[in-house]
Amino acid sequence: MIVLAIDTSGSGCSAAVYDSETAVVLGRSGADLGKGHAERLMEFVDEALVLAGRALPDIDRIAVTVGPGSFTGIRVGVATARGLALALGKPAVGVSTLAALAEGLRASAPGKPVLVAIDAKRDEVYLQAFDAAGVATGEPEALSVEAACERYSGFDGVIGGSGAHLVAADMQPKPPELIDVAFVAALGAAADPASAKPRPLYLRGPDAKPQAGFAIARA
Amino acid sequence: MSPPLRILGIETSCDETAASVILRDSDGKGHILGDVVLSQLEEHSAYGGVVPEIAARAHVEALDTLIEEALLRAGVTLSDIDAIAATSGPGLIGGLIVGLMTGKAIARATGKPLYAVNHLEGHALTARLTDGLSFPYLMLLVSGGHTQLILVKGVGEYERWGTTIDDALGEAFDKTAKLLGLPYPGGPAVERAALAGNPERFDFPRPLVGDARLDFSFSGLKTAVRQAAQSLEPVTDEDIADICASFQRAISRTLKDRVGRGLKRFKAEHAGVARPALVVAGGVAANQVLRSTLQTLCAQFGFEFIAPPLSLCTDNAAMIAWAGAERLAAGMAADGLDVAPRSRWPLDAQAQALLGSGKRGAKA
Repeated sequence: MIVLAIDTSGSGCSAAVYDSETAVVLGRSGADLGKGHAERLMEFVDEALVLAGRALPDIDRIAVTVGPGSFTGIRVGVATARGLALALGKPAVGVSTLAALAEGLRASAPGKPVLVAIDAKRDEVYLQAFDAAGVATGEPEALSVEAACERYSGFDGVIGGSGAHLVAADMQPKPPELIDVAFVAALGAAADPASAKPRPLYLRGPDAKPQAGFAIARA
Repeated sequence: MSPPLRILGIETSCDETAASVILRDSDGKGHILGDVVLSQLEEHSAYGGVVPEIAARAHVEALDTLIEEALLRAGVTLSDIDAIAATSGPGLIGGLIVGLMTGKAIARATGKPLYAVNHLEGHALTARLTDGLSFPYLMLLVSGGHTQLILVKGVGEYERWGTTIDDALGEAFDKTAKLLGLPYPGGPAVERAALAGNPERFDFPRPLVGDARLDFSFSGLKTAVRQAAQSLEPVTDEDIADICASFQRAISRTLKDRVGRGLKRFKAEHAGVARPALVVAGGVAANQVLRSTLQTLCAQFGFEFIAPPLSLCTDNAAMIAWAGAERLAAGMAADGLDVAPRSRWPLDAQAQALLGSGKRGAKA
Protein backbone atom coordinates (compact mmCIF):
# COMPACT_ATOMS: atom_id res chain seq x y z
CA MET A 1 0.00 0.00 0.00
CA ILE A 2 1.22 3.49 -0.84
CA VAL A 3 0.61 5.97 1.98
CA LEU A 4 0.83 9.74 1.82
CA ALA A 5 1.66 10.99 5.31
CA ILE A 6 1.32 14.57 6.46
CA ASP A 7 2.41 16.29 9.64
CA THR A 8 1.65 19.90 10.52
CA SER A 9 1.01 19.42 14.23
CA GLY A 10 4.03 21.31 15.54
CA SER A 11 6.71 23.59 14.26
CA GLY A 12 7.61 21.11 11.50
CA CYS A 13 5.65 20.77 8.29
CA SER A 14 6.29 17.62 6.30
CA ALA A 15 4.98 15.04 3.87
CA ALA A 16 6.17 11.57 2.91
CA VAL A 17 5.20 8.91 0.40
CA TYR A 18 5.66 5.46 1.94
CA ASP A 19 5.37 1.92 0.64
CA SER A 20 4.03 -0.32 3.40
CA GLU A 21 4.93 -3.57 1.60
CA THR A 22 8.63 -2.78 1.77
CA ALA A 23 8.45 -0.34 4.70
CA VAL A 24 10.42 2.15 2.63
CA VAL A 25 9.94 5.91 2.44
CA LEU A 26 9.86 6.58 -1.30
CA GLY A 27 10.04 10.34 -1.00
CA ARG A 28 9.82 12.96 1.69
CA SER A 29 9.96 16.69 2.02
CA GLY A 30 9.45 19.28 4.70
CA ALA A 31 10.95 21.97 6.86
CA ASP A 32 10.96 23.26 10.39
CA LEU A 33 8.74 26.21 9.64
CA GLY A 34 7.46 27.47 12.95
CA LYS A 35 4.58 29.07 11.11
CA GLY A 36 3.11 29.27 7.62
CA HIS A 37 2.11 25.61 7.34
CA ALA A 38 -1.03 26.43 5.36
CA GLU A 39 1.03 28.13 2.65
CA ARG A 40 3.79 25.54 2.31
CA LEU A 41 2.16 22.15 2.86
CA MET A 42 1.09 21.52 -0.75
CA GLU A 43 4.60 22.27 -1.97
CA PHE A 44 5.99 19.59 0.37
CA VAL A 45 3.32 17.10 -0.74
CA ASP A 46 4.27 17.77 -4.36
CA GLU A 47 7.99 17.38 -3.64
CA ALA A 48 7.48 14.10 -1.77
CA LEU A 49 5.44 12.76 -4.70
CA VAL A 50 8.06 13.82 -7.24
CA LEU A 51 10.88 12.27 -5.22
CA ALA A 52 8.83 9.07 -4.91
CA GLY A 53 8.08 9.08 -8.63
CA ARG A 54 4.37 8.82 -7.85
CA ALA A 55 1.25 10.82 -8.52
CA LEU A 56 -1.74 11.40 -6.26
CA PRO A 57 -3.89 8.72 -7.95
CA ASP A 58 -1.25 6.15 -6.85
CA ILE A 59 -1.97 6.92 -3.20
CA ASP A 60 -4.00 4.26 -1.39
CA ARG A 61 -4.32 6.01 1.92
CA ILE A 62 -3.62 9.35 3.60
CA ALA A 63 -2.23 9.44 7.15
CA VAL A 64 -2.18 12.63 9.18
CA THR A 65 -1.11 13.61 12.68
CA VAL A 66 -4.16 14.63 14.69
CA GLY A 67 -2.38 15.99 17.79
CA PRO A 68 -1.95 16.71 20.54
CA GLY A 69 -0.10 19.75 19.29
CA SER A 70 -0.81 23.19 17.86
CA PHE A 71 -4.58 23.51 17.46
CA THR A 72 -4.23 25.48 14.24
CA GLY A 73 -1.49 23.22 12.90
CA ILE A 74 -3.56 20.11 13.53
CA ARG A 75 -6.45 21.60 11.59
CA VAL A 76 -4.22 22.47 8.64
CA GLY A 77 -3.25 18.80 8.36
CA VAL A 78 -6.63 17.25 9.13
CA ALA A 79 -8.52 19.53 6.73
CA THR A 80 -6.00 18.79 3.99
CA ALA A 81 -6.09 15.03 4.59
CA ARG A 82 -9.89 14.94 4.63
CA GLY A 83 -10.05 17.10 1.50
CA LEU A 84 -7.62 14.81 -0.32
CA ALA A 85 -9.51 11.73 0.86
CA LEU A 86 -12.79 13.17 -0.41
CA ALA A 87 -11.39 14.06 -3.82
CA LEU A 88 -9.33 10.89 -4.31
CA GLY A 89 -11.96 8.54 -2.95
CA LYS A 90 -9.36 6.99 -0.64
CA PRO A 91 -9.47 6.64 3.15
CA ALA A 92 -7.70 9.02 5.53
CA VAL A 93 -6.55 7.90 8.97
CA GLY A 94 -5.38 9.84 12.00
CA VAL A 95 -2.17 9.17 13.92
CA SER A 96 -1.48 10.75 17.29
CA THR A 97 1.72 12.70 17.75
CA LEU A 98 2.28 10.73 20.96
CA ALA A 99 2.26 7.46 18.99
CA ALA A 100 4.58 8.87 16.33
CA LEU A 101 7.03 10.11 18.97
CA ALA A 102 6.81 6.74 20.76
CA GLU A 103 7.93 4.98 17.58
CA GLY A 104 11.03 7.16 17.53
CA LEU A 105 11.78 6.34 21.18
CA ARG A 106 11.28 2.61 20.59
CA ALA A 107 13.68 2.71 17.68
CA SER A 108 16.34 4.30 19.89
CA ALA A 109 15.80 1.90 22.82
CA PRO A 110 14.45 -1.42 21.54
CA GLY A 111 12.77 -3.79 23.96
CA LYS A 112 11.71 -1.18 26.48
CA PRO A 113 8.36 0.38 27.31
CA VAL A 114 8.19 4.08 26.45
CA LEU A 115 6.44 7.07 27.95
CA VAL A 116 5.94 10.11 25.75
CA ALA A 117 5.38 13.43 27.50
CA ILE A 118 4.79 16.63 25.54
CA ASP A 119 5.15 19.93 27.37
CA ALA A 120 1.65 21.39 27.13
CA LYS A 121 2.65 24.60 29.01
CA ARG A 122 0.46 25.91 31.86
CA ASP A 123 2.02 23.25 34.12
CA GLU A 124 0.52 20.44 32.12
CA VAL A 125 1.84 17.59 29.99
CA TYR A 126 0.18 15.57 27.27
CA LEU A 127 1.26 11.99 27.74
CA GLN A 128 0.75 8.35 26.89
CA ALA A 129 2.62 5.14 27.73
CA PHE A 130 3.37 2.30 25.32
CA ASP A 131 4.74 -1.21 25.91
CA ALA A 132 7.90 -2.53 24.29
CA ALA A 133 5.92 -3.65 21.24
CA GLY A 134 4.57 -0.15 20.74
CA VAL A 135 1.05 -0.97 21.93
CA ALA A 136 -0.52 1.85 23.96
CA THR A 137 -1.05 0.90 27.58
CA GLY A 138 -3.25 3.87 28.31
CA GLU A 139 -5.23 6.63 26.63
CA PRO A 140 -3.59 9.89 25.52
CA GLU A 141 -4.27 12.45 28.23
CA ALA A 142 -3.48 15.88 29.59
CA LEU A 143 -2.25 15.79 33.18
CA SER A 144 -0.89 18.36 35.56
CA VAL A 145 2.86 18.03 35.91
CA GLU A 146 2.33 17.07 39.54
CA ALA A 147 -0.12 14.27 38.72
CA ALA A 148 2.09 13.01 35.91
CA CYS A 149 5.13 12.86 38.20
CA GLU A 150 3.13 11.00 40.82
CA ARG A 151 1.75 8.46 38.39
CA TYR A 152 4.97 7.77 36.53
CA SER A 153 7.59 8.24 39.28
CA GLY A 154 8.74 4.64 39.00
CA PHE A 155 8.28 4.25 35.26
CA ASP A 156 10.48 1.40 34.09
CA GLY A 157 11.35 2.34 30.55
CA VAL A 158 12.36 5.22 28.34
CA ILE A 159 10.81 8.64 28.79
CA GLY A 160 10.92 11.09 25.92
CA GLY A 161 9.26 14.12 24.39
CA SER A 162 9.46 17.85 25.08
CA GLY A 163 7.92 17.33 28.53
CA ALA A 164 10.15 14.42 29.60
CA HIS A 165 12.15 16.61 32.00
CA LEU A 166 8.93 17.71 33.70
CA VAL A 167 8.00 14.10 34.48
CA ALA A 168 11.49 12.75 35.18
CA ALA A 169 13.43 15.18 37.39
CA ASP A 170 16.80 13.77 36.36
CA MET A 171 16.31 14.68 32.69
CA GLN A 172 17.42 17.90 31.04
CA PRO A 173 14.95 19.99 29.10
CA LYS A 174 15.27 19.51 25.36
CA PRO A 175 13.76 21.47 22.51
CA PRO A 176 10.67 19.75 21.12
CA GLU A 177 11.69 17.17 18.55
CA LEU A 178 10.14 17.20 15.12
CA ILE A 179 7.69 14.45 14.30
CA ASP A 180 9.25 11.91 11.94
CA VAL A 181 6.69 11.68 9.19
CA ALA A 182 7.97 8.21 8.28
CA PHE A 183 6.55 6.93 11.57
CA VAL A 184 3.28 8.67 10.81
CA ALA A 185 3.16 6.81 7.51
CA ALA A 186 3.99 3.43 9.08
CA LEU A 187 1.43 3.87 11.85
CA GLY A 188 -1.12 5.09 9.33
CA ALA A 189 -0.55 2.01 7.18
CA ALA A 190 -1.24 -0.20 10.19
CA ALA A 191 -4.36 1.72 11.30
CA ASP A 192 -7.88 0.56 10.58
CA PRO A 193 -9.27 2.73 7.77
CA ALA A 194 -12.80 1.66 8.67
CA SER A 195 -12.42 3.59 11.91
CA ALA A 196 -13.72 7.14 11.87
CA LYS A 197 -12.17 9.90 9.76
CA PRO A 198 -9.18 11.68 11.28
CA ARG A 199 -10.39 14.02 14.01
CA PRO A 200 -8.23 16.50 15.89
CA LEU A 201 -7.03 15.21 19.26
CA TYR A 202 -6.83 18.45 21.23
CA LEU A 203 -6.80 17.04 24.80
CA ARG A 204 -7.78 20.51 25.94
CA GLY A 205 -11.00 22.51 25.84
CA PRO A 206 -11.46 25.61 23.70
CA ASP A 207 -10.75 27.91 26.66
CA ALA A 208 -13.97 29.91 26.57
CA LYS A 209 -16.14 30.75 29.54
CA PRO A 210 -19.83 31.50 29.31
CA GLN A 211 -20.39 35.15 30.07
CA ALA A 212 -22.48 35.79 33.12
CA GLY A 213 -23.12 38.79 35.34
CA PHE A 214 -22.75 41.13 32.40
CA ALA A 215 -26.39 41.89 31.94
CA ILE A 216 -28.29 44.63 33.67
CA ALA A 217 -30.48 43.56 36.59
CA ARG A 218 -34.09 42.76 35.73
CA ALA A 219 -36.97 43.94 37.85
CA MET B 1 -21.38 33.61 -24.63
CA SER B 2 -19.07 31.54 -22.47
CA PRO B 3 -19.15 27.85 -21.64
CA PRO B 4 -21.32 26.89 -18.67
CA LEU B 5 -19.33 26.77 -15.42
CA ARG B 6 -19.97 24.60 -12.41
CA ILE B 7 -18.23 25.83 -9.27
CA LEU B 8 -17.85 24.30 -5.82
CA GLY B 9 -17.91 26.96 -3.11
CA ILE B 10 -16.64 26.66 0.46
CA GLU B 11 -17.32 29.15 3.27
CA THR B 12 -15.89 28.89 6.81
CA SER B 13 -14.99 32.46 7.76
CA CYS B 14 -17.17 32.78 10.84
CA ASP B 15 -19.73 30.52 12.49
CA GLU B 16 -21.43 28.91 9.49
CA THR B 17 -19.87 25.92 7.76
CA ALA B 18 -21.14 25.96 4.19
CA ALA B 19 -20.67 24.25 0.85
CA SER B 20 -22.46 24.88 -2.41
CA VAL B 21 -22.43 24.02 -6.09
CA ILE B 22 -23.58 26.68 -8.52
CA LEU B 23 -23.92 26.82 -12.27
CA ARG B 24 -23.16 29.90 -14.32
CA ASP B 25 -24.83 29.19 -17.63
CA SER B 26 -23.61 30.35 -21.03
CA ASP B 27 -25.80 33.47 -20.78
CA GLY B 28 -24.09 34.41 -17.53
CA LYS B 29 -27.11 33.53 -15.42
CA GLY B 30 -26.58 31.85 -12.09
CA HIS B 31 -28.30 28.77 -10.73
CA ILE B 32 -27.81 27.25 -7.29
CA LEU B 33 -27.60 23.49 -7.77
CA GLY B 34 -26.86 22.47 -4.22
CA ASP B 35 -26.46 24.56 -1.10
CA VAL B 36 -25.78 23.37 2.45
CA VAL B 37 -25.22 25.50 5.56
CA LEU B 38 -24.52 24.20 9.03
CA SER B 39 -25.01 26.93 11.58
CA GLN B 40 -23.06 26.74 14.83
CA LEU B 41 -25.48 29.05 16.60
CA GLU B 42 -26.09 26.66 19.48
CA GLU B 43 -22.41 26.03 20.10
CA HIS B 44 -21.84 29.74 20.66
CA SER B 45 -25.07 30.88 22.29
CA ALA B 46 -23.86 30.33 25.87
CA TYR B 47 -20.98 32.72 25.21
CA GLY B 48 -23.05 35.57 23.80
CA GLY B 49 -20.90 35.68 20.67
CA VAL B 50 -18.76 33.60 18.36
CA VAL B 51 -15.82 31.90 20.09
CA PRO B 52 -13.10 31.52 17.42
CA GLU B 53 -11.65 28.24 18.73
CA ILE B 54 -15.08 26.63 19.07
CA ALA B 55 -15.92 27.74 15.53
CA ALA B 56 -12.69 26.34 14.08
CA ARG B 57 -13.25 23.01 15.81
CA ALA B 58 -16.75 22.72 14.42
CA HIS B 59 -15.67 23.58 10.85
CA VAL B 60 -13.04 20.85 10.62
CA GLU B 61 -15.46 18.19 11.90
CA ALA B 62 -18.19 19.03 9.42
CA LEU B 63 -16.83 20.50 6.23
CA ASP B 64 -15.99 17.42 4.13
CA THR B 65 -19.39 15.87 4.84
CA LEU B 66 -21.12 19.12 3.84
CA ILE B 67 -19.21 19.22 0.56
CA GLU B 68 -20.31 15.67 -0.21
CA GLU B 69 -23.87 16.65 0.61
CA ALA B 70 -23.75 19.75 -1.63
CA LEU B 71 -22.40 17.66 -4.54
CA LEU B 72 -25.07 15.04 -3.94
CA ARG B 73 -27.88 17.61 -3.89
CA ALA B 74 -26.50 19.17 -7.06
CA GLY B 75 -26.40 15.75 -8.69
CA VAL B 76 -22.78 16.20 -9.76
CA THR B 77 -19.41 14.72 -8.89
CA LEU B 78 -16.12 16.55 -8.51
CA SER B 79 -15.22 15.63 -12.10
CA ASP B 80 -18.12 17.86 -13.28
CA ILE B 81 -16.75 20.85 -11.39
CA ASP B 82 -14.78 23.52 -13.27
CA ALA B 83 -13.20 25.27 -10.29
CA ILE B 84 -13.13 25.38 -6.52
CA ALA B 85 -13.79 28.67 -4.72
CA ALA B 86 -12.96 28.93 -1.02
CA THR B 87 -13.24 31.95 1.26
CA SER B 88 -9.71 32.90 2.27
CA GLY B 89 -10.57 36.08 4.17
CA PRO B 90 -11.47 38.26 5.91
CA GLY B 91 -12.68 36.38 8.98
CA LEU B 92 -11.61 34.16 11.84
CA ILE B 93 -8.28 32.65 10.89
CA GLY B 94 -8.93 29.23 12.42
CA GLY B 95 -12.01 28.69 10.30
CA LEU B 96 -10.51 30.23 7.16
CA ILE B 97 -7.63 27.74 7.37
CA VAL B 98 -10.01 24.79 7.44
CA GLY B 99 -11.96 25.92 4.38
CA LEU B 100 -8.95 27.06 2.40
CA MET B 101 -6.92 23.89 3.07
CA THR B 102 -9.88 21.70 2.16
CA GLY B 103 -10.27 23.71 -1.05
CA LYS B 104 -6.55 23.43 -1.83
CA ALA B 105 -6.61 19.67 -1.26
CA ILE B 106 -9.61 19.19 -3.56
CA ALA B 107 -8.08 21.47 -6.20
CA ARG B 108 -4.78 19.60 -6.04
CA ALA B 109 -6.40 16.16 -6.18
CA THR B 110 -8.76 17.03 -9.03
CA GLY B 111 -6.38 19.27 -10.96
CA LYS B 112 -9.03 22.04 -11.03
CA PRO B 113 -8.21 25.71 -10.43
CA LEU B 114 -8.63 27.22 -6.98
CA TYR B 115 -10.06 30.69 -6.43
CA ALA B 116 -9.28 32.14 -3.00
CA VAL B 117 -12.30 34.38 -2.62
CA ASN B 118 -12.73 37.50 -0.51
CA HIS B 119 -15.82 36.93 1.63
CA LEU B 120 -16.93 40.52 1.04
CA GLU B 121 -16.75 40.00 -2.71
CA GLY B 122 -19.14 37.08 -2.24
CA HIS B 123 -21.65 39.44 -0.61
CA ALA B 124 -20.97 42.15 -3.19
CA LEU B 125 -21.75 39.95 -6.20
CA THR B 126 -24.73 38.02 -4.78
CA ALA B 127 -27.26 40.33 -6.42
CA ARG B 128 -25.90 39.30 -9.81
CA LEU B 129 -26.55 35.65 -8.93
CA THR B 130 -30.07 36.31 -7.65
CA ASP B 131 -31.20 39.26 -9.77
CA GLY B 132 -28.77 39.42 -12.68
CA LEU B 133 -27.97 43.00 -11.71
CA SER B 134 -25.65 45.01 -13.98
CA PHE B 135 -22.68 47.05 -12.79
CA PRO B 136 -22.39 49.56 -11.22
CA TYR B 137 -24.52 49.44 -8.09
CA LEU B 138 -24.29 50.26 -4.40
CA MET B 139 -24.14 47.63 -1.71
CA LEU B 140 -24.80 48.05 1.98
CA LEU B 141 -23.30 45.19 3.96
CA VAL B 142 -24.58 45.07 7.53
CA SER B 143 -23.59 42.02 9.55
CA GLY B 144 -21.99 41.01 12.85
CA GLY B 145 -18.56 41.63 11.40
CA HIS B 146 -19.03 44.37 8.83
CA THR B 147 -20.85 47.62 8.18
CA GLN B 148 -19.86 48.94 4.78
CA LEU B 149 -21.23 50.91 1.89
CA ILE B 150 -19.50 49.70 -1.25
CA LEU B 151 -19.66 50.81 -4.86
CA VAL B 152 -19.55 47.67 -6.97
CA LYS B 153 -18.12 48.68 -10.36
CA GLY B 154 -17.16 45.31 -11.77
CA VAL B 155 -15.74 41.94 -10.83
CA GLY B 156 -12.74 42.77 -8.68
CA GLU B 157 -13.50 46.50 -8.84
CA TYR B 158 -14.84 47.89 -5.61
CA GLU B 159 -14.78 51.26 -3.93
CA ARG B 160 -15.44 51.38 -0.26
CA TRP B 161 -17.44 54.53 0.35
CA GLY B 162 -18.06 54.03 4.02
CA THR B 163 -17.24 51.67 6.84
CA THR B 164 -17.65 51.57 10.58
CA ILE B 165 -14.99 53.30 12.60
CA ASP B 166 -15.72 51.07 15.61
CA ASP B 167 -18.40 48.38 16.07
CA ALA B 168 -20.21 46.61 13.28
CA LEU B 169 -23.98 47.09 13.29
CA GLY B 170 -24.70 43.42 14.06
CA GLU B 171 -22.24 43.69 16.92
CA ALA B 172 -24.18 46.64 18.31
CA PHE B 173 -27.34 44.50 18.26
CA ASP B 174 -25.52 41.60 19.96
CA LYS B 175 -24.03 43.82 22.66
CA THR B 176 -27.36 45.52 23.33
CA ALA B 177 -29.03 42.13 23.64
CA LYS B 178 -26.33 40.85 25.96
CA LEU B 179 -26.59 43.92 28.17
CA LEU B 180 -30.35 43.56 28.42
CA GLY B 181 -30.16 39.83 29.12
CA LEU B 182 -31.73 38.93 25.76
CA PRO B 183 -30.61 35.79 23.94
CA TYR B 184 -27.90 35.48 21.26
CA PRO B 185 -27.97 36.31 18.38
CA GLY B 186 -29.03 39.78 19.39
CA GLY B 187 -30.60 40.96 16.14
CA PRO B 188 -33.81 38.93 16.20
CA ALA B 189 -34.04 39.24 20.02
CA VAL B 190 -33.81 43.04 20.01
CA GLU B 191 -36.24 43.28 17.09
CA ARG B 192 -38.75 41.07 18.88
CA ALA B 193 -38.48 43.01 22.15
CA ALA B 194 -38.81 46.31 20.26
CA LEU B 195 -42.21 45.35 18.84
CA ALA B 196 -43.90 46.23 22.13
CA GLY B 197 -41.72 49.25 22.83
CA ASN B 198 -41.96 53.01 22.53
CA PRO B 199 -39.30 54.18 20.06
CA GLU B 200 -39.62 57.80 21.25
CA ARG B 201 -38.86 57.19 24.93
CA PHE B 202 -35.09 57.50 24.65
CA ASP B 203 -33.32 59.91 22.36
CA PHE B 204 -30.19 57.90 21.64
CA PRO B 205 -27.30 59.51 19.76
CA ARG B 206 -26.92 59.14 16.00
CA PRO B 207 -23.15 59.32 15.56
CA LEU B 208 -21.78 60.98 12.41
CA VAL B 209 -25.23 62.07 11.25
CA GLY B 210 -24.69 65.19 9.19
CA ASP B 211 -21.05 64.31 8.57
CA ALA B 212 -20.08 64.53 4.90
CA ARG B 213 -18.07 61.31 4.85
CA LEU B 214 -20.08 58.11 4.62
CA ASP B 215 -18.68 56.18 7.58
CA PHE B 216 -20.58 54.62 10.45
CA SER B 217 -20.05 54.54 14.20
CA PHE B 218 -22.02 52.56 16.75
CA SER B 219 -19.95 52.44 19.92
CA GLY B 220 -21.35 55.70 21.30
CA LEU B 221 -24.84 54.35 20.80
CA LYS B 222 -23.88 51.22 22.69
CA THR B 223 -22.63 53.34 25.61
CA ALA B 224 -25.82 55.42 25.61
CA VAL B 225 -27.91 52.23 25.74
CA ARG B 226 -25.90 50.98 28.69
CA GLN B 227 -26.21 54.26 30.54
CA ALA B 228 -29.96 54.38 29.94
CA ALA B 229 -30.35 50.82 31.19
CA GLN B 230 -28.17 51.44 34.24
CA SER B 231 -30.13 54.54 35.19
CA LEU B 232 -33.29 52.42 35.34
CA GLU B 233 -31.81 49.34 36.98
CA PRO B 234 -33.55 47.05 37.77
CA VAL B 235 -35.23 47.24 34.37
CA THR B 236 -38.76 46.09 33.63
CA ASP B 237 -39.89 44.32 30.46
CA GLU B 238 -41.37 47.62 29.36
CA ASP B 239 -38.04 49.40 29.85
CA ILE B 240 -36.33 46.75 27.75
CA ALA B 241 -38.91 47.03 25.00
CA ASP B 242 -38.57 50.82 24.99
CA ILE B 243 -34.77 50.68 24.94
CA CYS B 244 -34.82 48.22 22.03
CA ALA B 245 -37.36 50.26 20.08
CA SER B 246 -35.43 53.50 20.69
CA PHE B 247 -32.16 51.77 19.76
CA GLN B 248 -33.67 50.66 16.45
CA ARG B 249 -35.00 54.14 15.80
CA ALA B 250 -31.54 55.62 16.34
CA ILE B 251 -30.02 53.11 13.93
CA SER B 252 -32.75 53.66 11.43
CA ARG B 253 -32.16 57.41 11.49
CA THR B 254 -28.40 56.91 11.21
CA LEU B 255 -28.76 54.65 8.19
CA LYS B 256 -31.22 57.05 6.61
CA ASP B 257 -28.66 59.84 6.79
CA ARG B 258 -25.55 57.79 5.91
CA VAL B 259 -27.06 55.69 3.13
CA GLY B 260 -29.09 58.64 1.83
CA ARG B 261 -25.85 60.54 1.26
CA GLY B 262 -24.46 57.49 -0.50
CA LEU B 263 -27.44 57.32 -2.86
CA LYS B 264 -27.07 61.00 -3.63
CA ARG B 265 -23.40 60.55 -4.40
CA PHE B 266 -24.11 57.57 -6.65
CA LYS B 267 -26.63 59.62 -8.62
CA ALA B 268 -24.17 62.45 -8.99
CA GLU B 269 -21.28 60.24 -10.09
CA HIS B 270 -23.24 57.77 -12.20
CA ALA B 271 -25.95 59.88 -13.73
CA GLY B 272 -26.05 57.63 -16.79
CA VAL B 273 -27.19 54.55 -14.87
CA ALA B 274 -30.78 53.99 -15.93
CA ARG B 275 -31.70 51.63 -13.13
CA PRO B 276 -29.74 52.57 -10.02
CA ALA B 277 -29.92 49.96 -7.31
CA LEU B 278 -29.07 49.51 -3.65
CA VAL B 279 -28.34 45.94 -2.61
CA VAL B 280 -28.46 45.01 1.04
CA ALA B 281 -26.52 42.07 2.45
CA GLY B 282 -25.59 40.65 5.83
CA GLY B 283 -27.63 39.22 8.68
CA VAL B 284 -28.87 42.63 9.86
CA ALA B 285 -30.69 42.90 6.51
CA ALA B 286 -33.31 40.65 8.12
CA ASN B 287 -34.39 43.48 10.44
CA GLN B 288 -37.79 44.75 9.29
CA VAL B 289 -37.39 48.26 10.69
CA LEU B 290 -34.12 48.77 8.85
CA ARG B 291 -35.50 47.17 5.74
CA SER B 292 -38.47 49.53 5.62
CA THR B 293 -36.17 52.49 6.28
CA LEU B 294 -34.02 51.49 3.32
CA GLN B 295 -37.05 50.80 1.13
CA THR B 296 -38.46 54.25 1.85
CA LEU B 297 -35.10 55.81 1.20
CA CYS B 298 -34.71 53.99 -2.11
CA ALA B 299 -38.18 55.02 -3.23
CA GLN B 300 -37.36 58.62 -2.35
CA PHE B 301 -34.16 58.62 -4.41
CA GLY B 302 -35.45 56.49 -7.27
CA PHE B 303 -33.37 53.46 -6.46
CA GLU B 304 -34.40 49.87 -6.80
CA PHE B 305 -34.08 48.13 -3.43
CA ILE B 306 -32.68 44.64 -3.79
CA ALA B 307 -32.60 42.30 -0.83
CA PRO B 308 -31.56 38.77 -1.77
CA PRO B 309 -33.32 36.00 0.17
CA LEU B 310 -32.07 35.93 3.74
CA SER B 311 -30.26 32.62 3.23
CA LEU B 312 -28.11 34.41 0.63
CA CYS B 313 -27.76 37.59 2.73
CA THR B 314 -26.20 35.76 5.64
CA ASP B 315 -23.02 33.73 5.27
CA ASN B 316 -23.32 31.01 2.64
CA ALA B 317 -21.16 29.19 0.12
CA ALA B 318 -23.29 29.86 -2.97
CA MET B 319 -22.07 33.46 -3.02
CA ILE B 320 -18.46 32.26 -2.73
CA ALA B 321 -18.97 29.82 -5.60
CA TRP B 322 -20.62 32.60 -7.61
CA ALA B 323 -17.71 34.98 -6.97
CA GLY B 324 -15.39 32.22 -8.20
CA ALA B 325 -17.57 31.77 -11.31
CA GLU B 326 -17.48 35.50 -12.01
CA ARG B 327 -13.71 35.58 -11.68
CA LEU B 328 -13.29 32.54 -13.90
CA ALA B 329 -15.71 33.89 -16.52
CA ALA B 330 -13.90 37.24 -16.50
CA GLY B 331 -10.67 35.42 -17.32
CA MET B 332 -9.06 36.25 -14.01
CA ALA B 333 -6.19 34.01 -12.95
CA ALA B 334 -6.72 31.29 -10.37
CA ASP B 335 -4.73 31.33 -7.14
CA GLY B 336 -1.66 29.24 -6.38
CA LEU B 337 -1.89 26.50 -3.77
CA ASP B 338 0.48 28.55 -1.62
CA VAL B 339 -2.15 31.25 -1.12
CA ALA B 340 -2.42 32.33 2.52
CA PRO B 341 -5.61 32.81 4.53
CA ARG B 342 -6.05 36.45 5.56
CA SER B 343 -7.91 37.42 8.70
CA ARG B 344 -7.92 40.99 7.36
CA TRP B 345 -8.51 41.71 3.73
CA PRO B 346 -10.19 44.95 2.65
CA LEU B 347 -12.19 44.54 -0.52
CA ASP B 348 -11.07 47.94 -1.67
CA ALA B 349 -7.27 47.81 -1.57
CA GLN B 350 -7.10 51.58 -2.10
CA ALA B 351 -9.23 52.43 0.91
CA GLN B 352 -7.46 53.88 3.91
CA ALA B 353 -7.61 51.93 7.14
CA LEU B 354 -10.07 53.54 9.52
CA LEU B 355 -9.46 51.14 12.37
CA GLY B 356 -7.12 48.38 13.32
CA SER B 357 -4.30 48.75 10.82
CA GLY B 358 -1.71 46.55 12.48
CA LYS B 359 0.80 44.17 11.01
CA ARG B 360 -2.02 42.05 9.61
CA GLY B 361 -3.12 45.04 7.60
CA ALA B 362 -6.25 47.11 7.66
CA LYS B 363 -9.50 45.63 8.83
CA ALA B 364 -12.04 45.30 6.09
